[in-house]
Formats: sequence, C-alpha cells, structure tokens
Amino acid sequence: MTTNDHNNMTTYTICIFTENTIGLLNRITIIFTRRRINIESLTVSETERKGISRFTIVIKHESREEVEKLVRQIRKIVEVLAVFGYLNDEIVYNEIALFKISTSLGTKSLDVETINKHYKAWVVYWGLDYVVIEKTGNDTEIFEFFAYLKQYEILEFVRSGRVAVGKTEKGLVEYLPEAEWESYM
Amino acid sequence: MEAIASVRPETLETQAAPAYINGSHALMKALLAEGVDTIFGYPGGAIMPVYDALYDYQEQLNHILVRHEQGAGHAAQGYARVTGRAGVCLVTSGPGATNLVTAIADALIDSTPLVCIVGQVAKKLLGTDAFQEADVMGVTMPITKWNYQITDANEVPEILSKAFYIAQSGRPGPVLIDMTKSAQLELMTKPYVYERCQSLVSYRPRLVPKQEQVEAAAKLINSAKRPYILVGHGVQIAKAEDELKTFAEKTGIPVATTLLGQSTIPTNHPLYVGWLGMHGNYGPNVMTDHADVIIAIGMRFDDRVTGDASKYIKQAKVVHIEIDPSEIDKIIRADAPVVGDAKAALNALLPLVKPNDHTVWRNEFRKYDAIENETITVPELTNTNGKIRMAEVIDMLSTKTKGESILVTDVGQHQMMASRYYQFRRPNSLVTSGGMGTMGFALPAAFGAQVGAPDRQVVAIIGDGCFQMTLQELGTIVQNKQPVKAIILNNNFLGMVRQWQQLFHERRYSFVELQNPDFITIAKGFGMAGQTCTERDNLSDALDTMLNYDGPFLLEVIVEKEENVFPMVPAGASVAQIRLK
Repeated sequence: MTTNDHNNMTTYTICIFTENTIGLLNRITIIFTRRRINIESLTVSETERKGISRFTIVIKHESREEVEKLVRQIRKIVEVLAVFGYLNDEIVYNEIALFKISTSLGTKSLDVETINKHYKAWVVYWGLDYVVIEKTGNDTEIFEFFAYLKQYEILEFVRSGRVAVGKTEKGLVEYLPEAEWESYM
Repeated sequence: MEAIASVRPETLETQAAPAYINGSHALMKALLAEGVDTIFGYPGGAIMPVYDALYDYQEQLNHILVRHEQGAGHAAQGYARVTGRAGVCLVTSGPGATNLVTAIADALIDSTPLVCIVGQVAKKLLGTDAFQEADVMGVTMPITKWNYQITDANEVPEILSKAFYIAQSGRPGPVLIDMTKSAQLELMTKPYVYERCQSLVSYRPRLVPKQEQVEAAAKLINSAKRPYILVGHGVQIAKAEDELKTFAEKTGIPVATTLLGQSTIPTNHPLYVGWLGMHGNYGPNVMTDHADVIIAIGMRFDDRVTGDASKYIKQAKVVHIEIDPSEIDKIIRADAPVVGDAKAALNALLPLVKPNDHTVWRNEFRKYDAIENETITVPELTNTNGKIRMAEVIDMLSTKTKGESILVTDVGQHQMMASRYYQFRRPNSLVTSGGMGTMGFALPAAFGAQVGAPDRQVVAIIGDGCFQMTLQELGTIVQNKQPVKAIILNNNFLGMVRQWQQLFHERRYSFVELQNPDFITIAKGFGMAGQTCTERDNLSDALDTMLNYDGPFLLEVIVEKEENVFPMVPAGASVAQIRLK
C-alpha cells in the first residue's frame, strides 16, 4: 500500500468509536492526509452498541508524539466518542486473507492436511478449476502462508484490514477524555 | 407545480391532513429561538425558499445584503467577535458557498463562532452535477468545527440547535449547514418543536478543569521566581478579562498578549508588558527566554509567537490553560496542563495562588522597553522627515479616540502597526485576521463589528492592497447606514511582502507595487464620504473630520512607501534573534 521506507517505523493501531453518520470516514481520513500519514489498513463496523461504529486504522509512524497528537485531533471531531492508540503488544489483532488457487489439470495438487493442520487455513469454496482458501491470523502468519502457497498458482490474493481489541482499558493518551469515555455511553 | 396538477379530484375531497410548516419556515423559527436577530447573506437559486420565508420575518430578523459572500462571512466574523455570539450567514449553493470558504477557514483558526446556512440542490439532484451544485460538505469538512447536510425538513429544529451549540460552546468555531432545496420547500410531517441543545453525547467540552490539574498548576506558579503570563484570544472568548486582571494583580506576574489577545488587558495596566510575536514588542519576546514558569492562557503557541518552536522557552516549566485538549502538547509540551475554560480555570486557580511581588523581575522587561523606544518607537512617532508613517497615524488615532475604539485591521504592515501603536483601553477591541491572515478581512469585518456593537466607534485600518480585495462592501456599509470609519494606509505597495523582499530577497521587489485607483472617487461612487491626506500637517484635521463625521467615512492617508515594521523575528528564527532594524 505504500512505497515509503519503513525503517524506524512503529506500527500503531488506532481504534475510533463514533456515531454512525454519513461522511465520518472522510472527516477522519482527512486528518491523516493533512499530516501526510499513510493509512495501511482501515476497517469499519458497528459495535456491540447500536449506532456506534468502530474504526480500526493501522498506520506506521516514527514518532509516538506525533501519533498522540493525531489521536487528539481525531478526538476533536464532534461525532467521535473515543479514540485509543495502541502498540501491537497492547492489542489482540487479526486479519483475514482469501487465496484463490488454481486446481486446473496439470497443476500441483493441494496438500490440504498441511494447510489445515500446520497453517490453520481452510478451503471455503471449490470451483471447477480453483479453490478459495481462507486464512486468519496476523500479517506475519498470512505472509508465511502466502510464501507456502507460492508453489501453487495463486490466481488472486486479498487481505482484509486489521481488527483489534485492546488488552487493557487505556490507550496511549491518558489525560484526555478518552479515559472517561465509558461514562459517555 | 406538477405535483398539484396530478392530484386527483377525490383526494381533494378527503379530510385535510394537519398542515405543518415547511423547512424554510422551520429554519426561521429556529434562528429566532436561538436569539438571532441579524443575518448576513446573499440570495441565489438554491436558497430561494429560505429567502421567501425570510420575507415574512423581516421584522424580527435583520437580513443584511452584502455584495459578495466572502463579505457576508467576514461581516459575520466581525459581528461574532464583538458580541461573542455566533454570526449567521445565509448563501446559496455552489459559488455562493465556495465564496464563503475563506471566511470559514479564517473563523476556524481564529476560534470564531459562525453558523453558515448554505443552499443545496434538491435531494434527488445530489451528485448529478446539477446547476450550481458543489460538494460543499466535502469542501468545508476540513475547515469547519462541524457540518451537516439537511435533506429532510423534519431535521431542521434538531440540527439548528446542534449547530448553534457546537459553534458557540467549548472552543468556538464555524459550523456549516448544507440544506437541500427540497428540504427547504417540503412540509414537516410533525409539529415544529424546538429545544435548545445543552449537551451532546460525543462532544463535551470541559469547562471546569480537574482540581488536580489546577493544584499542580498552582504549585508551579507559587514556586516560580520569574513567572510570565502569556494571554491569547481564549481569555476574551471566555469573557475572563476581570479574572485575568485579578489573578495577575494578586500574583504580581507580568502579562503579555498574543496578537489576538490584544485589548484583553488595558495597555496602561502596570502588569501589562506588551505583545508577543514576529512583530511584537522587544521585551515580551526576549523575556520568554528568561522566565522560569510560563503561564499560557487561551493561546496555542502559534509559530508567529514562538519563532523556531524547538528553541522556544526550553528553560521554562509551562502551565498551559486551554479549553481545547488537542492544543496541549501540540507545539510546546506542558508541564502542568489545565484543560478548561479560561474563566473557570482562573477562578479555580485564584484561591490557590499566593500573593507575590515580582517587581524586580518585571523591571527587567522595562530595560528592553527603553531600547525599543529609543531605536524604534520614538523615531517612528517623532521624526518629521519624509512622508507620514503608519505609526503616526495609529498613534494619533489612539490619542484622539482615547483607546476606546474597536479597531478592525486587515493583514500586513498596517495590521502590525495598528497592534503596536493603538493603546487599547477596553476589551474586545481588536478584530483582526490572525491565524489565516486573510487580506480583505477588515472592511466587511468592520461593518459586522459595527452592526454588533452599535454603541462603539469602529475604525477599520486597511492597506491599499487589502482594500481592493473586498472594497465592494462599501456598498453594504452605505446601504445599511453603518457609521464605519475606514482608514486606508496607502503606500502603493504590498508592504509586508515588499519588506521581506527587501530584507531577505536582496530587494528583488517581485510583483508588489500597485497602480492604485482613486480610492476617494470609488468611495464617492458608492455614496460614501471621504478624503485623502498627504501632508503630516493635515493629519490631525483629517482624523478629526473622519471621527466626527456623521456616517461612514473613508480616509486615505498616503504614507511612506518603504517603511518597515520592527522589531521582527525573522521567519524560522528563534525569538532571541529578534531584529530591531
């Protein structure tokens, strides 16, 4: 998704809880683009509370301080209820990937047992001359599996954005209203 | 019309459904419920239903027809800045809305409450590239505090109450409501009920600071040997001028202001040391490097104040009192942040701070004042060689108005001179475009300020370049009989750019000289009185004529062509590198 050199870059996962209104995605992303921060992945879904959406945005940045400022700017959006910025070790996170693998005549036959047992991936669709394999895991696991599958003909590969939940209640920024956000609900 | 023609006769015979008001009338009622009495606007196709409703509300709502939507925006800003209430703009879709954009951006960065109501094409035409359709929501998203598109008349009461609440609460700012023509026309399907918004789930600006933050700040302030208060626009927004004075007087701490903080405290107050920034006073800038505790109140450490922020107040502990949490640590790390309204924060701090006397420390500022007076101020005000200097005009105006006027300035050298030489005596007396630096701001903003403060004398200080950006608003001033006094300080140059070219670009004067029109003839064309002053000996009489004139008046003063504003912190330099010449 990016051509930037990611040396000295740390991955941050930003979880944003918002009211579900039109245009909010734009309102949030312009805060990133104005600061020239590239979004690595973005996922939006409704939370356990009706009408409350959760954005999970992954970025890479060399400065924790700048990420803290970014978090506070996002918090400033009127419809935003709370923002948490996390490092990888502060969250449980996953992605999902789908691989479309050719099974046409003459191609190497799949080792489904290895795929299931070693890689914890599953064939979810059988076409006439291809299968679709689903793999969940973090990006490292997915790319390991990708490397394994390279011996077959990969027709298509698609990976979702990250979804994440925090291990602790608090995010990066402690003195902002985020700490009080539960009382808002 | 089609809809009516297609109604079948039998429907007409059935019992009439209860008739509710349409979106436009709901809008009028909502504005009245918010206490709005003045609207700055310009009609057009997609806002015509609202203007039709307005026709019925002329007694309660004073609509002021400007000459360009940017003028409506700046006038609303001027109005908001002197009243503390949201200025309301009403314009049409597409170009009407995009013309408003500069004023909206200006209002955001200078924390000015605006509610901009913008027409939009009918809901079914959205996204079809209809006539005068622009994605105004998209355009204004980055420059509004909040914006919303009304596509259903039923939304009007709730959205308007939210708009005014968001614009005026917390750190004030501009709100834009994009209202489709269909929502303006269609009838509500339920009775109109208006409830003023008091709070929102997702937006809760903290007014009263946390006690532990206040205590930490008080501890730092009490331990300080060389404390220094920097006052920004936030103190006047919070109407905390008296609290500031009480706080400073109890603690004996010297007070400087930012450009937008000017007039918070009278310039003759013994604790007032001057103003900060690129062209601020010498002592106040340099002394930031000598303070051990900086108490920043309602200010955001703008780069024009800090110079090179990486070298700014490194030696000092910082107490930062600020209503917008995103400003804390944004530029300068705060050792004791106090998130809250300036008035509430100062009230909370006052009982915790100890009375003190910092006379010795304060006197250090005066040493620098002496140098500034000798090298800059006195020569600028007393030297009788050459043409009139801007400084003389402002100084004389200040004396003649006893520092009691509202000064509305444009952007550039004259703006800095106005801030340097006007001796403000009353709060809320400098209306200027600080953060955005919008040329063309002054004339419409002065008009709006005069509408908002009819009992005060409003004087606009305008450069010859700035004037030509919004001079059409002379028509608005004349039509509305507002006694705005406008002074053009004419040096036939884009003076500030020329000064930079002189100092930093080896006098390569690249496109800064103007061939100006006869401004007085233009004023007369609009039906406005005016005169030109070219000689120093006539300046006093010319100012008297202007100030005593019953009605709007334009005074053009021909000033020194290549006058420079000093002191000056060169762009990117630290405040210690401030230049006196």
